[in-house]
Amino acid sequence: MAASYDVIVIGSGLNELVAAGLLAKAGRRVLVLESRAALGGAMVTEELAPGFRVDACAHDAGWLSPRIVQALELERHGLALLESPVTSFTPAADGAPLVLWRDQARTVDSIRRRSPADAAKWPEFAGRMGRLAGFLEHIYSAPPPRPVSTRPADLLALLGVGLRLRGLGRKEMVELLRVLPMPVVDLLDEWFADDALKATLGASGISHLFQGPRSAGTAFLMLHHQVGRPAGCFRARTTARGGVGGVVEALAAAARRWGAEIRTGAEASRILVRDGRASGVALQSGEEIAARAVASGVDPRRTFLDLVDPAESDPEFLRAVQHIKSRGVWAKVNLALDGLPEFTSLPGDGPHLRGVISISPTLDYLERAYDAAKHGGVSTRPYLEAVIPSLADPGLAPAGKHVMSVAVQFVPYRLKDGPWTDARREALGDSVVNLLAEHAPNLKGLIRHRQVFTPVDLEARYGLPQGQLYQGELTLDQALFMRPVPGWAHSATPIAGLYLCGSGSHPGGGIAGGAGALAARAILKGG
Amino acid sequence: MAQTWDAIIIGGGHNGLVTAAYLGRAGKRVLVLERRDRVGGAAVTEEIFPGFKFSVFSYVVSLLRPEIIRDLDLPSHGLELLPLESTLTPLPNGDYFAAWADHDKTRRELYRHSPRDAEAYDDFGQLMHHMAMAVRPILAMSPPDPTSLSPRDLLSLAKLGRHFQTLGADKFHALFKLMTMSSADFLDEWFECEPLKATKSASGIIGTFLGPRSPGTAYVLLHHYMGEIDGAFRSWGFAKGGTGAVSEAIAGAARRFGATIRTGAAVAQVIVKNGRAVGVALENGEEIRAATVVSGLDPNLTFRRLVEPKELPADLLEAIGRFKFRGSSGKVNLALSELPNFTCMPGNGPHLRGAISISPSVDYIERGYDDAKYGEFSRQPYMDIILPSMIDPGMAPPGKHVMSIFVQYAPYNLNGGWTDQRREAFGDAVINTLAEYAPNIKSAILHRQVITPKDIEDITGLTEGNIFQGELALNQLFFLRPLPAWAGYKTPIRGYYQCGAGTHPGGGIMGASGRLAAMAILRDG
Repeated sequence: MAASYDVIVIGSGLNELVAAGLLAKAGRRVLVLESRAALGGAMVTEELAPGFRVDACAHDAGWLSPRIVQALELERHGLALLESPVTSFTPAADGAPLVLWRDQARTVDSIRRRSPADAAKWPEFAGRMGRLAGFLEHIYSAPPPRPVSTRPADLLALLGVGLRLRGLGRKEMVELLRVLPMPVVDLLDEWFADDALKATLGASGISHLFQGPRSAGTAFLMLHHQVGRPAGCFRARTTARGGVGGVVEALAAAARRWGAEIRTGAEASRILVRDGRASGVALQSGEEIAARAVASGVDPRRTFLDLVDPAESDPEFLRAVQHIKSRGVWAKVNLALDGLPEFTSLPGDGPHLRGVISISPTLDYLERAYDAAKHGGVSTRPYLEAVIPSLADPGLAPAGKHVMSVAVQFVPYRLKDGPWTDARREALGDSVVNLLAEHAPNLKGLIRHRQVFTPVDLEARYGLPQGQLYQGELTLDQALFMRPVPGWAHSATPIAGLYLCGSGSHPGGGIAGGAGALAARAILKGG
Repeated sequence: MAQTWDAIIIGGGHNGLVTAAYLGRAGKRVLVLERRDRVGGAAVTEEIFPGFKFSVFSYVVSLLRPEIIRDLDLPSHGLELLPLESTLTPLPNGDYFAAWADHDKTRRELYRHSPRDAEAYDDFGQLMHHMAMAVRPILAMSPPDPTSLSPRDLLSLAKLGRHFQTLGADKFHALFKLMTMSSADFLDEWFECEPLKATKSASGIIGTFLGPRSPGTAYVLLHHYMGEIDGAFRSWGFAKGGTGAVSEAIAGAARRFGATIRTGAAVAQVIVKNGRAVGVALENGEEIRAATVVSGLDPNLTFRRLVEPKELPADLLEAIGRFKFRGSSGKVNLALSELPNFTCMPGNGPHLRGAISISPSVDYIERGYDDAKYGEFSRQPYMDIILPSMIDPGMAPPGKHVMSIFVQYAPYNLNGGWTDQRREAFGDAVINTLAEYAPNIKSAILHRQVITPKDIEDITGLTEGNIFQGELALNQLFFLRPLPAWAGYKTPIRGYYQCGAGTHPGGGIMGASGRLAAMAILRDG
């Protein structure tokens, strides 16, 4: 066996690198293993065509806590977060386009053009959601409370959560309990009348979820995606100079600076277990590396069904792992463009192109896109979230040229009519481009190169099981103390020395490094 | 002005009657006022075609709390529950899935479809049994206000916490999953046999505007499992004489405890003086005084129809306006000249004494929901069918039969609104779908009654025709039912209480709301 480490981290996504960095900083000898040649897992910025670089898979790093930025001194390691003044732009066929801004006054102005009544309600809505998300942020910064434990430490933690909940005040405390299990449709209907506004907000309640906005619990997911964002700042995206890959590079640099070793092209094939304790990792190459602890950023299912010999795990635990709902729902279309798309409803190359371009005219539109996937098909009118990262970071494309990254939902991993084929992939690409071209007719003429990744492609290329980015959908039954499986939400697993540090763990996807930071904390506590 | 009463109950539905009986039992002078010419609300038996008796709306009983049957001695007032012993799910390919009272027979049947499911069946039954036991005490408790610091609420919360702790982590987690998952996802963890999953998940959608793949439906599945205590597939019962007999029995008990029941007495308004309910005004102008007024009507009627808006805080009225009703089910009642002949199981047989479920697959029901989501009734609806005359021959003339078809989905807000024509089109969709499985049905029909959610609202008063007085959605349960801070059967108006299914624990001829309301009233003196 080769040189021994304190901790081996499998994978090099945001969570894994945060875990590695924090562990290394605390003096642990850390080795990060990445199977691909590039770091980042699903967070990669790759060459799309000569001179064009694009966030090939995910184009949003998720909210990165300032505490992590500070602890790992990421800015010193090259992190340059890019914040666009516009968070989202919803082209509209019916009147004024909807533009949401970081600046609340401008958001209210934009909403007013579509619905004065909604604009009047916005500040209250923004404040309320901000406070409810603030409560989640508090819960997300610690291991989730164990609701039925009688251990003093757990009771204390539970009491802390209870007091925090009470701190919201009587009205908002029950409001939180009422809102979390709601369908986002019902929540938004209570506040607003404008379809585009409701759909644009509601879209964040269905991200990477195999459910439509009428499904209970989607209000929770919308709040989840508000965690850490300023009140009223909806649909904000986290990215950096160099794309999401820029965030990964800064994290890797920081981890290395604290002494972590990072190996690429090193695919873990097995987690070694001796006497019920994780003792190291075997690579595809046959090499075995010993370690006192292993933190797996691989999704829980593959971790326990493939990497660990299933015989090492309790059947009930394996059963729970097998039941994790982690269905692929999205596809990616990446475009190299000769110029900027011109949107009919808002011409010009204004700041609206710097936010996410959200094709979300109505909540029913989103629901129908889900209906198609639910029955094993792909809607020709899917929900789209397009971004043009080369506007904020011109380095991503040759001068005057641009890249566009389009996330497409709902696209099922399994089609009813048979497997994904080249023809089906291209048909998906065509329908996405056609849909965008309805709003920006010049788009088709600008496309110099097109890349389409189906859920099957995302699985093969970036290791996302079924193409699911969050390693487990963020539904209520898979959140907090239920994530990744009930009773094992504190990073540790039934195998001593083996920890889960990926987005399959609490607090889940969309919170950059959240699960990694908690895993690091658990490992340090475990000695 | 007429004599005064200790308590007036508005609405002679089963919950109102239960409240009346319990208050009467405690020595209170109680008056029940029912708008229609008969008690029962949505639990009534009517002869809508000469010689044929129908449980017009609600048609099965399983959730009625045993303590109520006992406390009110309902059997002595004529309550007799006859078991529905089987569930037959005919399939489009001519096959069927059947579950029988005989547990081994059901397992053998399941084995025919899926040996794996037959293996899992007992474990699943055991889990649901445990879950039902875990929820039972919660159904029997008055929900605490989690924001309150009053000793009573804190004690109640502590009790609840203690209850969960005694359950242990595994059962608590299973319960949490049931509360938050869709019935389809939950059942997928156990079974692969489509008709089994579909038929079970169907009980998760009843009375909701949700599909089997919508989260929250697993709880409704459990809610309907409460009746199952002996491990039987779904031990629903049928009341001899129809569901009206349940109402009559409770009314009988209430009368024995001294309550007076007036039918044909429609309440127009609750009279409020200085923030206190002092009586009611009838639609005919008559005013009746009482120290306590209890509404058995749904939250919309209780708060927005029966009292002047000025008597209630604006935010409460707004919150009630947000309470979701959206009725999603209809009813087709048939008088038949002969028994239906199911292709999959021809002729007369024990299967006709149980339920017949048109639920061949989860996708089938989900597609029915898809229609309703966008404002249409299901072209191929889910149906729960029983033949009451097979269980209780008194329901129809000799040799003839009555058939009760519960149908989902029929949205209250149908595109273009419900008209006579649309009602008949809905009825046709039901009959045509049924005829695919029992081709003789069309020629056997002597009379057809089609009831849409709009009809349910018009006849019984239930807002938007919701059979549970408000959706059993997660955000409308327990201390949120009907509203936070007002889930304890009280209202902001002193002396004015709620006792309908719009309060915890909700609908399904349980009587639990009525009983808990009575206890809250008696506690307040």
